[in-house]
Amino acid sequence: MRLFWELVKLSFQRQLTYRAATLAGLATNFFFGLLRASVLIALYGARREVEGISLDGVITYTALSQATLAYLSMFWWYDVMNSVYSGDVASDLLKPMNYFVFWLAQDLGRALASLLTRGLTIMIAYAVFVGITMPQGGGQWLALGVVLALSWLVSFAWRFLVNLASFWTPNAQGVGRFAFVLSWSLSGFLMPLRFFPAWFVRLAYLTPFPYTVNAVVEVYLGVLTGPGLLRLLLGQLLWALALIGAGQLALRAGMRRLVIQGG
Amino acid sequence: MRFALDVYRRLLAVQIRAQLQYPVAFALDLGGTALILIVEFGSLALILQRFEGIGGWSLVEVAFLYGMVEMAFNTMDMLFSGFDPPVFGRLVRQGQFDQLLLRPLGITLQVLGSRCETRRLGRVVQGGLIFMLAVGLVDVRWTLLKLVYLPVVFASVVSFFGGLFIIGSTITFWTVESIEAINVLTYGGHEMMTFPMTIYNDWLRRFFTFIVPAIFLNYYPALYFLDKPDPFNLPPFAPFLAPLAGGGILAAALAFWRFGIRHYASTGS
Repeated sequence: MRLFWELVKLSFQRQLTYRAATLAGLATNFFFGLLRASVLIALYGARREVEGISLDGVITYTALSQATLAYLSMFWWYDVMNSVYSGDVASDLLKPMNYFVFWLAQDLGRALASLLTRGLTIMIAYAVFVGITMPQGGGQWLALGVVLALSWLVSFAWRFLVNLASFWTPNAQGVGRFAFVLSWSLSGFLMPLRFFPAWFVRLAYLTPFPYTVNAVVEVYLGVLTGPGLLRLLLGQLLWALALIGAGQLALRAGMRRLVIQGG
Repeated sequence: MRFALDVYRRLLAVQIRAQLQYPVAFALDLGGTALILIVEFGSLALILQRFEGIGGWSLVEVAFLYGMVEMAFNTMDMLFSGFDPPVFGRLVRQGQFDQLLLRPLGITLQVLGSRCETRRLGRVVQGGLIFMLAVGLVDVRWTLLKLVYLPVVFASVVSFFGGLFIIGSTITFWTVESIEAINVLTYGGHEMMTFPMTIYNDWLRRFFTFIVPAIFLNYYPALYFLDKPDPFNLPPFAPFLAPLAGGGILAAALAFWRFGIRHYASTGS
């Protein structure tokens, strides 16, 4: 366990050292957020509220989707893949630690640092320059904390599973692109899932993706309460466990297929 | 000139042959890239249907904007793959750019020929299909001038984005690492040009009019093709500024590129 936290800390510090990259990333997030906000404001037109989300709420949504982008790192994460192709995987597998937990610790450090430097900063910048809504009361803040933690776990378990494709094929980037594209719109990153037709939402909720970005959005905006909220948290937990389990199985099968490359 | 073209053709042929060595991976890549577009445009279409258009533009009219940008951007991404800033940054960082400089061939040509992302073809074709569908449904009143001007607009948008790629790459001579902020211009411009310009606030629109003249590349030509009135009351020749804006950005980018090369001092690794 000590090793785990040591890894988290190291990864956290490493992420913090990329200051210029963080600044550039922030500017990009802010710009894309404003672009998205313009689109949503225009879509709303004269409407005050759509599917329980007010105009202020939907502007807050654009902030949230950008603020969680780096934290969840949902798209285009190829770290495990790259280590397989560079050959680093050989020494990583020798470490006295479960391979999944080894990456989990590193990603936790990365995620926490991103949440602070990118997530929090974006929300503050939005609050100052644009204006956003805030969660009401301790209960909602608590739910937000839980949903944030679980959404990261779902996201990581999914990314890890996708990256394991590199144990089988020397060109897993194609698989990755394919997989990440699915989550692009089904996670609610492109648009709040509520705005889509019912059949699309039902389809989305058969996948783990809504339990990431969209879950955070719905809890933050307070459109989900009571039983709906509990169902969402339970769904997150189940998907996290299922994906972790699948990752372990795939890892065990993949170990027999892995070809160590590089030198 | 003939020699240069011949070399360029050969460099590309090598690229394409290499990518076809793994046919399954290539097909998956092509399919995956195409899927991006289906998912992205499909979602957008569902949303636009739900909200009955955006800023007074219907779904098919937005599809006209979307199809054009998508076709042109991905054609550019294929032709200018070597100038993709993160890719070019790696060339500089690892010292491979120095090797290219030593060869007795034009450097611009070599970078252009150093990479060709053929998987982008999937998106070009799909963007084309969306564009044609939009043109069919929106019932454009074609004139001879419109027919002649359409490929000019396409080439202008390709030059525009190509210029931005070259600028982004040239900056890496100084920063070494590709800077994420250039994405604001390339991918941001791409996303921005998908929608009618009236939806953006004044400073954002001014930025994309006077500093980066994206407004003249897709929006104004679209107003002309679709016979829509100009909400900003610019002079009537505004829709025809596309080649000037696209060519201008590309020319400026090439000048900056040559300036960068003269001041390039290698990373020494």
